[in-house]
Amino acid sequence: MYEVPSVQGASDPVTSWRNNSGLAQIIRSYKDQECALSIRDAFPYSRAAGLKQCLDVLTDFTKMIFAPPNHHVTLTLGNSDGITKVFRLFGEKGDHFLTDEFSFPSMTNSPLAYGVKWVGVKMDSGGIIPEELEKVLIKWDEVRSGRRPHVLYIIPVGQNPTGSTLSVDRRKKIYAIAQTWDLIIIEDDPYYFLQYDIPQTNCASADPDEFIKDFRSTLIPTFLSMDVDGRVLRIDTFSKVLAPGMRLGWITSNKLFHLKLADYTDSSTQPPHAFGQMFVTEMLSEHGWKVEGFCRWLRSLCLDYQSRRDFLLEVFRREVESTGYASVNCPEAGMFVWIEYSGGSPVVARTNTEHLLKELFERLMNIQGVVFIPSSTFAIPENPLWVESDGHVPLSDRNRFLRATFGGTEEIIEKGMIRLGKGLREFFQD
Amino acid sequence: MVFLPSTTSAISATDAGLKRSRVDYSRHLSAEARARLPNPIKSIWKAAQVKAGTINMGNGDPHHTLYPICEMNFVVPSIDEDDPVQSWRSGTGEQSIVASYKDDPCALSLRTAFAYGAGAGLKEVRDALAELNDRIHSPPNHTVSLSLGNADALTKCFRLLGDPGDSFLCEEFTFSAMTNAALPLGIEWVPIRMDKNGLVPSDLERILSNWNEATQGKRPHVLYTIPCSQNPTGSTLSLERRQHIYQIAHDWDIIILEDDPYFFLQYDLGVNQSTIQQFGYTRAMAEVLPRSFLSMDYDGRVMRLDSFSKIVAPGMRLGWVTSNSFFAEKLDMLTDSSSQHPHGMGQAFVAELLGSDGWGWISSLCNEYQRRRDLFMDVFRQKVAVSGFATAEVPQSGMFVWIKINLEHHARFSTSQTPTVPGGPTTNTVDLMDELFRKLLNNGLVMMPASTFAIVDRTGTMGNHINDRVNFFRATFVGTDETIRDGLTIFGRTLEEFFF
Repeated sequence: MYEVPSVQGASDPVTSWRNNSGLAQIIRSYKDQECALSIRDAFPYSRAAGLKQCLDVLTDFTKMIFAPPNHHVTLTLGNSDGITKVFRLFGEKGDHFLTDEFSFPSMTNSPLAYGVKWVGVKMDSGGIIPEELEKVLIKWDEVRSGRRPHVLYIIPVGQNPTGSTLSVDRRKKIYAIAQTWDLIIIEDDPYYFLQYDIPQTNCASADPDEFIKDFRSTLIPTFLSMDVDGRVLRIDTFSKVLAPGMRLGWITSNKLFHLKLADYTDSSTQPPHAFGQMFVTEMLSEHGWKVEGFCRWLRSLCLDYQSRRDFLLEVFRREVESTGYASVNCPEAGMFVWIEYSGGSPVVARTNTEHLLKELFERLMNIQGVVFIPSSTFAIPENPLWVESDGHVPLSDRNRFLRATFGGTEEIIEKGMIRLGKGLREFFQD
Repeated sequence: MVFLPSTTSAISATDAGLKRSRVDYSRHLSAEARARLPNPIKSIWKAAQVKAGTINMGNGDPHHTLYPICEMNFVVPSIDEDDPVQSWRSGTGEQSIVASYKDDPCALSLRTAFAYGAGAGLKEVRDALAELNDRIHSPPNHTVSLSLGNADALTKCFRLLGDPGDSFLCEEFTFSAMTNAALPLGIEWVPIRMDKNGLVPSDLERILSNWNEATQGKRPHVLYTIPCSQNPTGSTLSLERRQHIYQIAHDWDIIILEDDPYFFLQYDLGVNQSTIQQFGYTRAMAEVLPRSFLSMDYDGRVMRLDSFSKIVAPGMRLGWVTSNSFFAEKLDMLTDSSSQHPHGMGQAFVAELLGSDGWGWISSLCNEYQRRRDLFMDVFRQKVAVSGFATAEVPQSGMFVWIKINLEHHARFSTSQTPTVPGGPTTNTVDLMDELFRKLLNNGLVMMPASTFAIVDRTGTMGNHINDRVNFFRATFVGTDETIRDGLTIFGRTLEEFFF
């Protein structure tokens, strides 16, 4: 038995849940009675793509929301599991993989251990720059650097750590480049349903199908939806929209990759745990929230995060921007803001930027008592062999950002920003 | 369990220079494991927890107020019954509710269970399992890490310890799904002879002392064994054999992967009822369970794999690895770089279960499996063994019976086949077994033929090709009584047809 928020007829289930003011709903899984995925079916050993009932509901959900041309669903234990399995599928010792120049080290560190290296592609506030991606591929010298990169790993919505979201135009350009150079695109998209500043649909009058259609139309087209070649592996997870402890997600890919992933899972982790598969199946089925109800939860969650983002930006303006030492862009999605501090100096080459970053990070943690993750944690080491252009400022000289999350409470956000402002003032006035 | 030092006598003399007397854990790591970096964000997360009052804006976690589950209830058998398994199966027993809450007190709050955590798993659960380890095995100095079950743990251990080209040791009949998983890593398997009591220690010693690194590559440094209810042969290693094997491992610096999912399903042990009443089930079981390799691991060379799959359900996808702290840390780093920690729901459930005296369920489960084993052996005697065409030892634990087909009674059995390759098989065992397997299938019965589990020796030093010894089937006795009766009836009948 799981006690969950009721989402039917609730205009804002997330806020009601947080305030304890809404209704609750009970979802049940049985061993011997009828339900969407029984304990009897879920508890035995099974093959690795996942239990049929769970795969079916997630395939339906994927089709409804992403409309992939011709793809198959494989269950994972969350995105870390999914992505690292995909890396193993494609990476051999000596290979280079492409990614954003600031990327998610929990993932990018993992294939280093078996000899895969990373090439970081230049970004701006809109994410990875397609022309820079192309430059790397054109200039690649296989004699000096080994096999040309054939895998691109990106987080296109609420990018971790920069918070950027790739526009539709950039997605099309990147997909075209992938076609020209035969790249596999790994679309890591845990924040997809946290997209902000979208005119919201009127939920009260919509019938379920209408609601889902409207909900879907507010979301940016995915790489999966444009994947006519079958070169995209999309990695979805419940971690940010249900809970990280669910340890459940799914990969949508062409059939060959799906079969290989299933085989690999059979030879390693085995399929996800029964509890998670049962919960998700019931949740999306007749006696749970159904797809429409899940979309209502997602929409409500999104508005909740949006108001936290707005709150952080407001406090930031007041406490930090006012010092003149740092600025921030307004993220269109996700959980992170990418704070750039400058102390007023422009970006030039051959500075001690990285050293100063470390000092600031430590002062903030040890003296002010606030933790942000410094951009050095996310920076992919550069190699001049990959790209050389005039006026190129090395990454180490542009490494002056802090990643902050607005996933916490208002109290945490407020205190955090006050301490940041104070810390910056003291740091730059020293 | 009282820890006893090894009492085995000295092994036959071999060049002392080849033997090692100290465990160098890092030499056992694969290149990949040595190269692996810790997760940098988790390192910062750990540092942030040190000073009280630190505001952490570094994490990418949803706040617990947004988790859409505030309570989970599991309806489970009450273990206050005399025989909870019987009462549960017949629907006559009491039920009990195991509850986990997000905002109310319980053994493991959903607030904790649903958050991101370290690869090793939640402290509450690890501590409870470490305590269980202490009471059953008294391990000298080890650390517990959670796994997603034994297949996950074992394949991670392969990655931790194996480089391409490495040779690993295993029982000559083994759980081939796992040994196959190691092949893409470039690991090759070296089989060790078995008899009806399990792996033969002198054969293990023979392989190691005869190993020629110039022609065979690096000497094996890992032994994979299933010491209780060995899969597929159903044998359980005696204490003497375990001590002998440990001594060999000590002499040759071998890491022992102790895969033990059937450990708690032991029969004919005579659990003392008054001990149960006075001290509880755990103590009573600890007194009669076999000595694990872990319990004698004064070197720290054992990685023990325990699982909830056979004692709760396979779908739990939860288990635990007990090893020295160096290996535990490296294993956790691999987990942090791949599958991440186990799911919160399973950890919460197990924490609640272990909080109460859930081990009464295990004792009752053993009784039920023992009853089925006895039924199987009874029917086997009546329907099969009478003919003399097949024989089987009574398994002391687990789920399997290893049925020997006495092919020497078959008119077409031949022992003078010309081997197609040097050292190849000299009998037609494989063909006859294949024929029998198909006949059984045709008559509506599936049993696993020994060939599925056979590891072929590639060292060229084993005298006898394993294909001359695959005259066995692995049968399980964990089905319903009806399955056992019907299955063995078909088996007996088919054997009659086959031998005439």
